Amino acid sequence: MRRAQRTELLYALMFIAPFLLYLLIFHGFAFARAVYFSLTDKGLFNTPHFVGLRNYAYLIQDDRFLLALQHSIAYTLVVTVIQTFLALALAAVLNQRLKGITFFRTVYYVPSILSSAAVTVIAIWFFQKTGFLNNLLAWVSAYAPILLTLGGLFILAQGVQVGWERSRGLPVAPTDPALATVSLLVALVLTWVLSATGLVTARPMTEPTLAWLSETNSFLGIPIPLWAIMMLNIFTTIPTLMLIFLAGLQDVPKSIYEAAAIDGANPIQQFFRITVPMLRPVTFLVVTLSLIGTLQMYDQVALMGNAASLDSIIVLAYFVYNNVFNSNVPGNVGIASAAALVLALLTFAIVGLQRLLGISEKSY
Amino acid sequence: MATQTISPKRTLDERFLARQRWARAGWVYGTMLALAVLFIGPFYVAFLGSLKDNPLEYPFRYTFPQIMPHNWAEAWRLGELGAGNPWLGGFKPGAQVPFEVSYFVPEGTEPVSPSVTVPTRRAGAGIGAVLEEVQASQYAKVSPVAEAGRSPAVLDGQQGQIVRYRFTITYPGTGPTAPRLPLDVEAPLSQRFYSATLDPNRLERRGRVASWDSATPGFFGYTFRNYVRVFNEARNPNTGQSLFLRWIFNSFVVSLSAVLINLVFASLAGYALARMYLPGKNLIFGAIILLLAVPAQVTFISNYLVLRDLNLLGMIWGLVIWIGIDMARVFLMKQFFENIPREIEEAALIDGANPLVTFFRVILPMATPALGALTILTFQGVWNEFFKAQVVLAAQQDSYTLPLGLSFFRNAYGQVGDWGLMLASAFLSMIPVVILFVVFQRYFVEGVSTSALKG
Repeated sequence: MRRAQRTELLYALMFIAPFLLYLLIFHGFAFARAVYFSLTDKGLFNTPHFVGLRNYAYLIQDDRFLLALQHSIAYTLVVTVIQTFLALALAAVLNQRLKGITFFRTVYYVPSILSSAAVTVIAIWFFQKTGFLNNLLAWVSAYAPILLTLGGLFILAQGVQVGWERSRGLPVAPTDPALATVSLLVALVLTWVLSATGLVTARPMTEPTLAWLSETNSFLGIPIPLWAIMMLNIFTTIPTLMLIFLAGLQDVPKSIYEAAAIDGANPIQQFFRITVPMLRPVTFLVVTLSLIGTLQMYDQVALMGNAASLDSIIVLAYFVYNNVFNSNVPGNVGIASAAALVLALLTFAIVGLQRLLGISEKSY
Repeated sequence: MATQTISPKRTLDERFLARQRWARAGWVYGTMLALAVLFIGPFYVAFLGSLKDNPLEYPFRYTFPQIMPHNWAEAWRLGELGAGNPWLGGFKPGAQVPFEVSYFVPEGTEPVSPSVTVPTRRAGAGIGAVLEEVQASQYAKVSPVAEAGRSPAVLDGQQGQIVRYRFTITYPGTGPTAPRLPLDVEAPLSQRFYSATLDPNRLERRGRVASWDSATPGFFGYTFRNYVRVFNEARNPNTGQSLFLRWIFNSFVVSLSAVLINLVFASLAGYALARMYLPGKNLIFGAIILLLAVPAQVTFISNYLVLRDLNLLGMIWGLVIWIGIDMARVFLMKQFFENIPREIEEAALIDGANPLVTFFRVILPMATPALGALTILTFQGVWNEFFKAQVVLAAQQDSYTLPLGLSFFRNAYGQVGDWGLMLASAFLSMIPVVILFVVFQRYFVEGVSTSALKG
């Protein structure tokens, strides 16, 4: 080895040594030790004894673990599906060259930069029995007659206009924006007249009944408090995913849309026939990020504390923590490690699937 | 086909399309505005809630005493009168505070002067309840209540009159300064509270009793009362030090230390991986890719034990060490260094400078944009870190960072439903990141879209 090369190697080692040391201790060693602990009866203070796969066998029979696993999987699937779809739809709407669009994108990004702790505290207030969400729902249901009138009149006016234009031989789409503006104005005026004359009136606001977080019922097999956390997660993650989609949309040539428009494809057809297929690689990335992120969700559950009953919101990540620090049998490190490895395995499966399908940056 | 039928009417067609473009832009802006309301609205209403005396009131009011400008002016003036402090108010010796209340008296009843008391109130709910504070009730003297005028009025369809009463609260002699001057004004059964110099914090017993947390609040003490309480009510029982101030300090120390560590070591490691002769680079990459996918829930047990062996549990330095050097930041720096021209460092090396000098004198100054992004992303990430902080610091209240402090507040005040304080603390904890975001939004937004696509 040349002297110069040896010096460079020496310096390179010096440069990277702190990082390698950190990586080895806090990630490599920690990972290996978790695998080892999962095969022992390690508690917080004892010396571990090898017990084979007993911890895993215990987990399969532990009701709470199965509940956590079930919640985690349901949570991951529901949140990923909903937020991916909504983020894509929003990105498609926002993919316009308009003045001020950067301002709006910045504004939408705000919920995702804030700490999960602060956002969760606000969310718990939001979901209280007399919190803002129930206020909003009560308001909407009280004003439902007026809102429904408005919607109905809008559709009616739009239908009449589109029919009229078509009878004149103009090929307008049912979603024609210019006509929709007129329809909206007409509907607003008519609704105002109807409510001013007292023909359509709001109902009195009702007292709230649904206490989201202390509810013990389930909806579609998922406890209502967990639905509340799902809503929170979707709300804070959509902006990030939307920005990734927007970055992907920049690469879809505008000419494709123009060609489709000339061929008479309406915006909805354009969305499903052009946007969705062209964005497949980005969608795949978003889904992977989303699956991993939701699978490891911890903060929101931990911050809920006693606002919701543990069995209604427990997920894998919290199960692990709970077994080390909060359990009745304190410091069940062996079982916690085994559960954590189940979580890791699920994560690896998702990452592996992504690599296996060979979706990488080269695809687009 | 369709285009053929209308092609003769060329000008009409053009106008039709132009109109359509305008209308579409209008709908898009409308949608964007609606979405902005959707994403920001919850924070706006929660902020309103954080100013209220009762954030859980039903139905939710969008206007309430704390956001009325006339109350701001009065709170300022009263704070000045009570303690010479228009911001935070108080009650100090020599103070003379004139106060006026008015009651609606229905027809046929003779007005009776309300009784005015300065009650003794505890500092607050939750952990604040154990605090001893100077009570204004021990020093305040209330002058006799005098009638100041009557005017006929109709209230809720009921005939009657509005009667105004005046009294003065004084602090004769000497004594300590009280942080606030609680006030209760109670009228006989038939009379209803109508108005006062300063809108009361609570109305009880069907509007007969009006109650103020402080009659001399000052501007912050009235409008941002919950925010002031966050600092004042949660204190270390032994030292009397404000816990929230301490947590802010801890959060800054942890975040800035992590930024500094990542600035130096992540860029050093990134440079070594990008440019230097180092066998086994691929092995390191492989390890990073694998370990990046390992959830923190797997590694935290061992890390907790390591920090325990080092006696670093409950200390913010333990948290700083665990947060350490972020693998994603090393990647960021590596990618940046791969894109700078080789000639520059070669020139420096030929000049005889050793790699360390070259790195700090030549390479690092060129990396300012990447270092900027690294600083901001690291600060934001660490400022918001909850899980690691909980594992390391849970046992030591004085060492909490803000997210952990919020969780502590949630448990301490959630029982008594003191949402004003909890919401206020949540908003206070957001301020640094929001400022950072407003100033450096480019880094955040671009960071997300590009790093995610490259990942």
